[in-house]
Amino acid sequence: MSDHPRDANPNVEDVAPGAIDAEEYTIREGILGYVIGLVLATLLTVVSFYVAKSHQFWQPSVPIALVVLAIAQMGVHLVFFIHITTAPDNTNNILALAFGVLIVTLVVVGSLWIMYNLNHNLMPMDQMMHMQRGL
Amino acid sequence: MLGKLTWNAIPWDQPIPLVSASVVFLIFIGVIVWIIVKGHFPYLWREWITSVDHKRIGVMYLLLGLVMLLRGFIDAIMMRSQQALAFQAEGYLPPEHYNQIFSAHGTLMIFFAGMPIVIGLMNFVVPLQLGVRDVAFPTLNSTSFWLSASGAFLVNISLLIGEFARVGWLPYPPLAETTYSPGVGVDYYLWAVQISGVGTLMTGVNFVTTILKIRAPGMSYFRMPIFCWTALASNLLIIAAFPVLTAALAMLQLDRYLGFHFFTNEAGGNMMMFINLIWAWGHPEVYILVLPAFGIFSEVFSTFSRKPLFGYRSMVIATLFICIVSFCVWLHHFFTMGAGGNVNAVFGIATSVIAVGTGVKIYNWVFTMYGGRIQFSTPMLWSIGFIVTFVIGGMTGVLLAVPPADFQLHNSMFLVAHFHNVIIGAVLFGALAALTYWFPKAFGFRLDEYWGKWAFWFGFLGFYATFVPLYVAGLLGMTRRLQHYDIAMWRPWVLAAAFGVVLLFCGAVAQVIQLVVSIRRRHELRDETGDPWDGRSLEWSTASPPPAFNFAVLPNVQGEEPYWTIKRRSIETQQMSAEPEYKPIHMPKNSPTGFFMGFFATMGGFAMVWHIWWLAGVAAAGIYAVFVWFAWRDVDEYEIPAEEVAAADRARRRVRQEWLDANAKAEEFA
Amino acid sequence: MSTFEALQYDPYKLGRGYGEGGDGRDYATGHGERGPASARVIVGYGFWIFLLSDIVLFSCFFATFAVLRTATAGGPSGAELFEPWRVAAQTAFLLLSSFACGMAAMATRARSHLWTQAGLFVTGLLGLGFLLLEAQEFATMIVGGNGPDRSAFLSSFFALVGLHGLHVTVGLLWLGTMMAQVYFKGFQTKILGRMLCFNLFWHTLDIIWVAIFTVVYLIGVAP
Repeated sequence: MSDHPRDANPNVEDVAPGAIDAEEYTIREGILGYVIGLVLATLLTVVSFYVAKSHQFWQPSVPIALVVLAIAQMGVHLVFFIHITTAPDNTNNILALAFGVLIVTLVVVGSLWIMYNLNHNLMPMDQMMHMQRGL
Repeated sequence: MLGKLTWNAIPWDQPIPLVSASVVFLIFIGVIVWIIVKGHFPYLWREWITSVDHKRIGVMYLLLGLVMLLRGFIDAIMMRSQQALAFQAEGYLPPEHYNQIFSAHGTLMIFFAGMPIVIGLMNFVVPLQLGVRDVAFPTLNSTSFWLSASGAFLVNISLLIGEFARVGWLPYPPLAETTYSPGVGVDYYLWAVQISGVGTLMTGVNFVTTILKIRAPGMSYFRMPIFCWTALASNLLIIAAFPVLTAALAMLQLDRYLGFHFFTNEAGGNMMMFINLIWAWGHPEVYILVLPAFGIFSEVFSTFSRKPLFGYRSMVIATLFICIVSFCVWLHHFFTMGAGGNVNAVFGIATSVIAVGTGVKIYNWVFTMYGGRIQFSTPMLWSIGFIVTFVIGGMTGVLLAVPPADFQLHNSMFLVAHFHNVIIGAVLFGALAALTYWFPKAFGFRLDEYWGKWAFWFGFLGFYATFVPLYVAGLLGMTRRLQHYDIAMWRPWVLAAAFGVVLLFCGAVAQVIQLVVSIRRRHELRDETGDPWDGRSLEWSTASPPPAFNFAVLPNVQGEEPYWTIKRRSIETQQMSAEPEYKPIHMPKNSPTGFFMGFFATMGGFAMVWHIWWLAGVAAAGIYAVFVWFAWRDVDEYEIPAEEVAAADRARRRVRQEWLDANAKAEEFA
Repeated sequence: MSTFEALQYDPYKLGRGYGEGGDGRDYATGHGERGPASARVIVGYGFWIFLLSDIVLFSCFFATFAVLRTATAGGPSGAELFEPWRVAAQTAFLLLSSFACGMAAMATRARSHLWTQAGLFVTGLLGLGFLLLEAQEFATMIVGGNGPDRSAFLSSFFALVGLHGLHVTVGLLWLGTMMAQVYFKGFQTKILGRMLCFNLFWHTLDIIWVAIFTVVYLIGVAP
């Protein structure tokens, strides 16, 4: 219906999540990416186990440290295995991920906050009986 | 061998369910036999049951939804009549039965009427408005439909074989645990909702992908019709919220089937976690229903005021705002259950804030009408009725959002009146507006205006006659779900509500008559050009009904309201745009995959309800087998030759050229 | 002049319409005007959205676990039941399995049937090892009277970790079916799309395992 060329538009074609844009890498580079990801993930896992088990750290900080390490490792997986990047062709994929993270945060934090308050005001029968029995 | 299933599952000793179930069952079998005997089955199988065409699937969803709406309405009639009779008396429905009725009423209306109607409308309209041929995953679409149908089937079969849940439309533990609900009712509910929930989730994936990745060339985000934006927001909510429903119900199933202790009284269970999770789904769910309704009204107001939608950008922002904030308010469904002042305050404020988004929309609709040339056709009547009704319902909602007020009104008839006010005002009125608006596009002829207007007035007035008395009863202290009551002060209001239901019933009858009369008069009501309402978006550029491929050539969208611009240019220049070059079109092949998935899901659900483990295993194997068989097929598409495409499109262009010639001089340039 | 001069029609008052500047170029407002995306992008994106819904599903079980972690009903807590070596071994198996999956993806890029099937096979084997370790853990606990019916804490543990294990099991079934498909049909576009989806699925399962071993086995057993 129209003769207008589409090249006036600067936006590039989106990339499917999980795919590396086909033109731009060799097999060697690809494998290297996975190897780096594996090494980093292993490192983060070992550190996590060490932090959890060792008694050298101030105990209250351990859960936070573990969460930070876990998030870092998730990031390693996302970047090196799932190939999420911040390039414009990946924007839709990142937006979707951000939406998912938002919902997860709302559900988890919301539930924990609500349940903490509910439990404080209305302790489940079982826990009350345990407290009374001194268990 | 047959688990818990025995002949006693059929309610021999209860006349009402026995007779009604038998009648329904006989009608169902009768219809199937008639279809087969008259030789319609091959056509139905080929063109509808195995269809992966979004238009056909949309129509089937609507049919399912409307039938379930009537079924749920019958439950409502029974409830109102029972309450009208049961003042210091027992009425005609014993408590065990009455409890099943109000549970079935809510379950059917939300899951099997509301959702299918809304999803059906999105199915039919969205690809046409986006200027494309089908959704992202057509066979998945078909599977979604058949899984919803499977769930509806399970709920209905419980009337004849076994019983339904007695715990309300949301199965709160510990009442819903095996200790207090040892029968099969809750299990029927759980499997029906889980199975259809999977279907709905897949619809969410399908439509988000379609709207974000499959649009006509040139259709950027701000060139999409507003209905597509609301469909996007609704489907994003489906993806975000339905997993929470699946999780909460799965935990209850684990408690019931495998003796887990998520929500039990003993061994540390915490039943409030169920309430928390189920409402974290439940609130977004009502927005899933209402957002597409808002989109429908945007389309109707714009078309029937003959003006572009006012404030399109703020509508988009308001829609996305509502989408996100709807995930921040769920505690308002259980203010009274002990979270304390701080938590209640935060969620109460969030609930009031979400009204701002809707307020923006109301103002935009009103400003769309202002200065326009309004046509009071049936869709416009429903839309104006919606504005009045929804504003009232929204205000009672903001009233309930104040925790101290809610402590008085929680679970009273005031609450019942509020949520019916907003759901009927938005979703039902929207569905009826949409039905009248898009019916000609789907079937090629308009619906009769005279009976449409009668249906509107009975429905509109009937709604107020039914629910305003219930608001009053709630303020006088009447709680919900009462099988009988003794307080004389409530009696006149309950009787008034029963009268209101009579008006609603007349509305339903008028709606059915409208359909019958329209079919009889279809030649007079024929929609020749495909554009009966002088529409503004791309679906009106196709013939009525559109060919399987929707558009012979995907439209090249060059601005907002693409069809309106093309149309005005044609009228001004007195000629149609140039005939395009026709090429062969590849469309996805029909497939029985969806139907067989639904079949095995029904088999599996029924088997799990009655503890027939071997049959459940067969069903699981069947589902896997169907999946592999579908994945193995080599040919996904069939080709429509260019000549066939050309023939269909030339017919469409010829009709429009004739219209142009006939109307050229009379056209008024606004 | 008619007001329907298409060149200046701006019904939504967005200020940027067609042909601003009168040069006839198309200034579409917003992104994504290139027409329908390719099948590969559509399939990948759709599956990505599904995975996000799956992550929300898991988050509900995580939240429930967090809420019920102290509801041991007089029974044992995580610290008394979990074996650190087993968790470490499971983590290693799954991580290496993810790596093998990546290698299979590289082999597919090179269109090598042998290395693709080898990579997929190793992925499956390591995944199976993970599952066996988990099944053993579950069996030991159930036989010892510490099954999911013992307490709410154990219910939430078995449900969360079991849900992950169920996903791995379904993944292995999918993997086997796909190895057969690659063998019989070769590297058709459709098959490549499915392998992309499987990759996403398998890596996401590893991401969820990271959350599980952190929350359940490391933080969850802290005194």
